Amino acid sequence: MENPRTIGICNELIFSTFFKSNVKTLRNYLYFKFGNEEQANDIAQEAFIKLWENCANVPEEKAKSYIYTVANNATLNQIAHQKVVLNYAKSIINSDENNLTPEFLIEEEQFKTKLEKAISNLTEAQRIAFLLNRIEGKKYKEIAALLNISIKAVEKRIHGALVSLRTEIEQIK
Amino acid sequence: MNTMEEDYKLAKWLDGGMTESELKAFQETPEYATYIKIAHYSNHLKTPVFDENLMLQNVVATQKSIPKVIPLYQSKWLRIAAILVVFLGLTYVLKSESTFTEYADNAKKTTFLLPDDSEIVLNSGSEIKYKKWNWNNQRSLELKGEAFFKVAKGKTFDVQTDLGIVTVVGTQFGVKSRENRMEVYCYEGKVRVQNKGQITYLTKGKHVHYENNKQIVTAFSDSIPLWLQNKMTFESEDLAAISAEMERQYGVKISVKNVPLDQQFTGTIPSNDLDVALEIICKTFQLKATKTKAAIILEGK
Repeated sequence: MENPRTIGICNELIFSTFFKSNVKTLRNYLYFKFGNEEQANDIAQEAFIKLWENCANVPEEKAKSYIYTVANNATLNQIAHQKVVLNYAKSIINSDENNLTPEFLIEEEQFKTKLEKAISNLTEAQRIAFLLNRIEGKKYKEIAALLNISIKAVEKRIHGALVSLRTEIEQIK
Repeated sequence: MNTMEEDYKLAKWLDGGMTESELKAFQETPEYATYIKIAHYSNHLKTPVFDENLMLQNVVATQKSIPKVIPLYQSKWLRIAAILVVFLGLTYVLKSESTFTEYADNAKKTTFLLPDDSEIVLNSGSEIKYKKWNWNNQRSLELKGEAFFKVAKGKTFDVQTDLGIVTVVGTQFGVKSRENRMEVYCYEGKVRVQNKGQITYLTKGKHVHYENNKQIVTAFSDSIPLWLQNKMTFESEDLAAISAEMERQYGVKISVKNVPLDQQFTGTIPSNDLDVALEIICKTFQLKATKTKAAIILEGK
């Protein structure tokens, strides 16, 4: 059997395309969950490997839910989450560049630090939903599909996250 | 005024889902300043980078160690072939799991090989049961009647009879288990015989006979069982046992009348010449033989 038929996700081109479209979100979702970069990378890779190995049994349209299922199952045995460390992009586009006074910049840095701390104190559910929206740019509908919850549930988490963030930031003042 | 369904305002705002009026109202609130900052700066957060291309390479590289699976649902013929293979496989497993029975009818002898090439010859009216599965690791069979064994070297070999167990490692021996009498002949090697609690070891040329809780060990000189040479040999056996064996060897029915059945005989008679055999028996036990269509009647004089 030299040339088995490669259809669907078994086709290397189709698989690669799927991989490129989904790997970042999957891996970042895992990172938001655990705060451990190595773990996120490993589990994400493992999920895609499983998909590749079982490609014959996974229809193309089910591939996305497949990798999330595998990833979530893998994480059941993982160590408890660590602090999620996020960095700010080097250049933050400021709409009003004329206002870049030193005081402003210091204040900005302080706020960013408070925000980072507050994010790490969110509940796992809120943190994942919030960061998937803010960093990955996912719409609530997409987040709902990824996490297998309702859109209402996503809204609740986002809302809760925002309230929690504001409360904590204002307290730190 | 909270409705049944929670209205997650902030989520709506973040998504740009607030109405004009809602938005205006929200912007008036003191918290709004913080929220707008949260939204703005959280937008610029990023996760640690990773090498996507390297990961993709690692993933597709695993393909090489695992053969590609041909989806069976694609081909009707492959599906049929697969079902056939599974069916055959199951049949094989079921067959090996089950117990095999070899037997020799009256007036016949059966020779067969075990999975380890051990050779067994069954005397007439005898039966052996064994499992082929995992034979080399568990050489154990059940014998009813009489058989001669040429056991191939290997793990211990057990012959279970109603009256006792014979264990060997690699040797030639004969076992006879009829009614309440058990005999074991060792033609080569060493044989361990267990009868109830008693254990006896036989070496070449030794024979043990258990009956009525008695155990007698004697020597003999034949190199193979006499019954393989068309002879029936008896050692202090009564007429009942002898006529039973004659029935098995000749495939006839023998009916004994007016004779005390506990008289004993030691000797050899042919198993391929009924008339001569009958003559010897009649002489020994003082009997008269009459042949009818249905049976041979032996009457005491």
